[in-house]
Amino acid sequence: MNLTRRLVFGRDPRRTAVRILVLASVSLITFRWVLLPIRAEGISMLPTYQSGSLNLVNRLAYSSRTPSRGDVVAIRLAGPHLVYVKRIIALPGERLSIAKGQVHVNGVPILEPYVKNRRPWDVPEVTLTPREYFVIGDNRGMRAADHDFGRVDVSRIIGKVVF
Amino acid sequence: MTARQVVRPTVLVLLAVLAVVVWRGRMTDEERAIRDRLSALRGEVNASAADGLANVTRAARIGGYFTDEAVVDLGEGAPPIRGRDTLMGMAARLQPRTAAFRMDLDDVSVELVPGGEAADVILTASFVSSSVATGEESRDAREFALVLVKSDGPWRISRITAIDTFR
Repeated sequence: MNLTRRLVFGRDPRRTAVRILVLASVSLITFRWVLLPIRAEGISMLPTYQSGSLNLVNRLAYSSRTPSRGDVVAIRLAGPHLVYVKRIIALPGERLSIAKGQVHVNGVPILEPYVKNRRPWDVPEVTLTPREYFVIGDNRGMRAADHDFGRVDVSRIIGKVVF
Repeated sequence: MTARQVVRPTVLVLLAVLAVVVWRGRMTDEERAIRDRLSALRGEVNASAADGLANVTRAARIGGYFTDEAVVDLGEGAPPIRGRDTLMGMAARLQPRTAAFRMDLDDVSVELVPGGEAADVILTASFVSSSVATGEESRDAREFALVLVKSDGPWRISRITAIDTFR
C-alpha cells in the first residue's frame, strides 16, 4: 500500500503536485500559443508533405518578421483545429500569374525546386493588396480545380510549418 | 538566488496563466445551449437511416433546427437555398451514414447579440467521405458564418453563409 502510494504520489506529494502543475501549464502554453501540432491530410503538398505526416507549426515565427516567399504556412479557417498547409509564392503588393504551370511574379518567372510534377495551370494576373499573400500547394500535378489555392489575408496565417 | 525563490514565482505565474485560460474559456448558459444545439444537429446529420421512411423522419428532425425562412448561401456558383421545406427536401435526399459520409464541426465560436435573442456563430464544417475501394478518408472543409435566433424556445438557424478562405 505504502509502495503504491509512493509510486503514485512520490516521496513528497506536495512537490509531485507542483511538478504536475508546472508540466501541465508548460504543455498548455507550448501547444496553445507556441507550437501547433498538425497532421497533413490530402495530396496538395506532395512531395514535400505526405498525407498522414505529423508536423508542427511555429505560431511565433512571424511575431518579429513577416512571412517570406517559399515559407510553408498554416492557414486557418474558423480556428486552428483545421488548417490549410500551403506555400507562399507571392508577397503583398506583388503581381502574380501562372502561365502553362510556370509562376510569374511581377512578370519574372520564379524557380520552384520543390515542385516535382507540373500541369499546365493558367491563372490570370492578380495584384495582391498590402494585406494579401498568394499561397499554393507543391503538388501541381493535380487538376487545378481540385487544388485549393489563391490570395489569403495575412490575418489567416497562423504560423510557419517547421517540420 | 535559491531554487525556492525561482520555483515559487514561476508556479504562481503558471497558475495565473491557467486561471486566465479557464476564465476566458467560460461559457454562458446560452452559449452552451447553442453549442449543444449545433452538436445535436451534427449528430442528426450523421445518424444512420436504413430506409426511406427513416430518411424522411430524419429530414423532418433536421428541419427543426432551422427557422421557416432560413437561408443557406454557399457562395459563388450556387444560388442560395431558401426555406425550411427546401432544406428538408434536400436532407431527405442525403445519403445515409452507411454511405460513409460524416460531418464534423470544429472551432465553433459563439457571440451573442445584445438582447440575447440572436447569436452570430463562426465555425468550420468538414465533410468526410471514405472511399469504398480503399477506405481512405477525404475531407472537404469550409468556414461558415451562422445566424441563430431563439424562436419558440430552442435556438434555430436563420442563415448560413459560406466564407471563402482563398480569394
